[in-house]
Amino acid sequence: MNLTKTAKLALLSLSRNRLRSFLMMLGVTVGIASLTALASVGEATKQETMRRFKRMLGTFDMVIIEPGGASTRGMPSLATVEPVLKFADAAAIAAEIPAVRQVSEMQFALDLDVKYRDKTTSPSVIGVAANYTAVRGEELAAGSDITPEDVASLARVALIGADVVTDLFPDQNPIGQTLRIADVPFQIKGILESRGVGPGGASMDNTILIPVTTASKRLFNRDYLTAVIAQLEDPTRAASAIADISALLRERHGIIPPAEDDFRVSSPEAQVMQITEVSSTLSKVLVGVAVIATLIGGTVIMSLMLIAVSERRREIGIRRAVGANRRDIMVQFLIEAAVVALAGGIVGVLIGVGTTLVITMLSDLAPAIMWTAVGGSVLLSVAIGLVFGLQPAWRAANIDPIEALRS
Amino acid sequence: MIEMQGISRIYTREDGTPVPALRDVSFSIGRGEFVTVRGASGSGKSSLLNIIGCLDTPTAGIYRLDGEDVSGYDDEQRSTIRCRKIGFVFQSFNLLPRTTAVENVEIPALYVGGRVDRDRALDILGRVGLAERAGHFVSELSGGEQQRVAIARALMNDAPLLLADEPTGNLDSAAGESIMRLLADLHREGRTIVLVTHDDSVAAWAQRELLIRDGVIASDRQLPPLHGRAASVAAGA
Repeated sequence: MNLTKTAKLALLSLSRNRLRSFLMMLGVTVGIASLTALASVGEATKQETMRRFKRMLGTFDMVIIEPGGASTRGMPSLATVEPVLKFADAAAIAAEIPAVRQVSEMQFALDLDVKYRDKTTSPSVIGVAANYTAVRGEELAAGSDITPEDVASLARVALIGADVVTDLFPDQNPIGQTLRIADVPFQIKGILESRGVGPGGASMDNTILIPVTTASKRLFNRDYLTAVIAQLEDPTRAASAIADISALLRERHGIIPPAEDDFRVSSPEAQVMQITEVSSTLSKVLVGVAVIATLIGGTVIMSLMLIAVSERRREIGIRRAVGANRRDIMVQFLIEAAVVALAGGIVGVLIGVGTTLVITMLSDLAPAIMWTAVGGSVLLSVAIGLVFGLQPAWRAANIDPIEALRS
Repeated sequence: MIEMQGISRIYTREDGTPVPALRDVSFSIGRGEFVTVRGASGSGKSSLLNIIGCLDTPTAGIYRLDGEDVSGYDDEQRSTIRCRKIGFVFQSFNLLPRTTAVENVEIPALYVGGRVDRDRALDILGRVGLAERAGHFVSELSGGEQQRVAIARALMNDAPLLLADEPTGNLDSAAGESIMRLLADLHREGRTIVLVTHDDSVAAWAQRELLIRDGVIASDRQLPPLHGRAASVAAGA
């Protein structure tokens, strides 16, 4: 008996026993639907996390040097960091480490009052080098960037983020206006392109950028940095760059291991990987649960088929009498199991994709249907049909036709 | 057509005791014969029918079907023989429920090579007088009609040997007689028919009677053309 005939036979038999076929499908459908949805929502979340980090960090072809040892926690700002990372350190890194293309110094401060006329807001104020926007791949929405001359001359100029525009300049063009940061006047040169929300869900547009030298000498009166960004020549060799930078800073700071470093060098890409790894471990566990649910669906198929086989003893006897051999019967039941599981799987995928679209829509994620999960689900359901159909099919094939016809 | 030489069939009870159902049975049935096999229940006639129908294998002896020694055939080989050479007609019709008449007739064609020929199945249904019932589900047919479908199914692969086990047992006498007339017609076309029955008036349609008792052939005789049979054939003609 050929496969086409058997498949037709299986479809006929399934369509004549709708309730049983439906129940057999159901178990697989539930499992596959949750599998597809969980895998896809997990993937959407992961992609969104990556996107947010990328937005926060700009590009990944850099390493970040921060003051404070390995035990330092929290967002480093001028108020909290150890005063150990100096402008000279940054200059040395740029000069002596060949893997580093350029460095960008930063001074970061929170909770400074920024005023324009009668309006006040408290954005993050960051002293940056002239190459800051280039290193981080940020764009200006309007105006012009901080120049090396601004940095050299300690110019009192500022770039403002979209939130600051909203807060202080709701209905006028801020460029050319003068705002006061902790009572020091700064002229607005440009407006930063909006970057949306960061990984923690907070806005990344509530910032003001000023030349780092101006920040150091005219605003904060601090000669140490909160961070140095080192852009790499080759982003794939971040590990060796980190080692070189660490060695240089230990030498400059007079640290002899096993004494603890008073700085940290990290690759944002590695950190992001670590964070997304945590969430993807969670989603792997959920996917594992869904796989188990699908396997339970397989056992539903198996038990319903075992019942069906004993109900269909006579049919089996008839088929055997008119010429079916054991293999024909076995194949017939296996195909029925595979077809019903495949149908259940396809329905499950449709429900799962639908659920994913609804969930991603409700939670503002970009819908990421994991096609590997979809394809995998379909294959998994067929495999489940075949595996769990095996025992009932074997039993059907070994029914004695004489006994079956007598009953 | 059928040649049995020293056929025995011994079943084994669960405790290991052998139970002989057939003992050293030898006979032959020629092509085109219409033979009735009779005997009390437990006489061994079911065992004999199962062996003739290649559903079972003899414990000892040689069974030649159509000149081919099938006594040592395995399950797959016997399935092929059943498929091509043997048509079964059962007392309880044994049609698939929730399936139409024509689909039932087609079943044997599933198990031979090539495609299923629906036109042929419809032709055969026409021959047994059910042309306009082809699309009906089995449950919508009368007993006599169901048995006609079963006979059509037995003819689907053009089997030369028909095995009928109490084909009229579940039918009223009118339906039973029309079934027997149909079998007689098929016999006249040259098919070999082996008929198991308790009913004398049904057995009377055959040409020859084998009587089984305690696993051996107790008698083997030619039957005279009976008045009833001659009369009904005449009436049918």
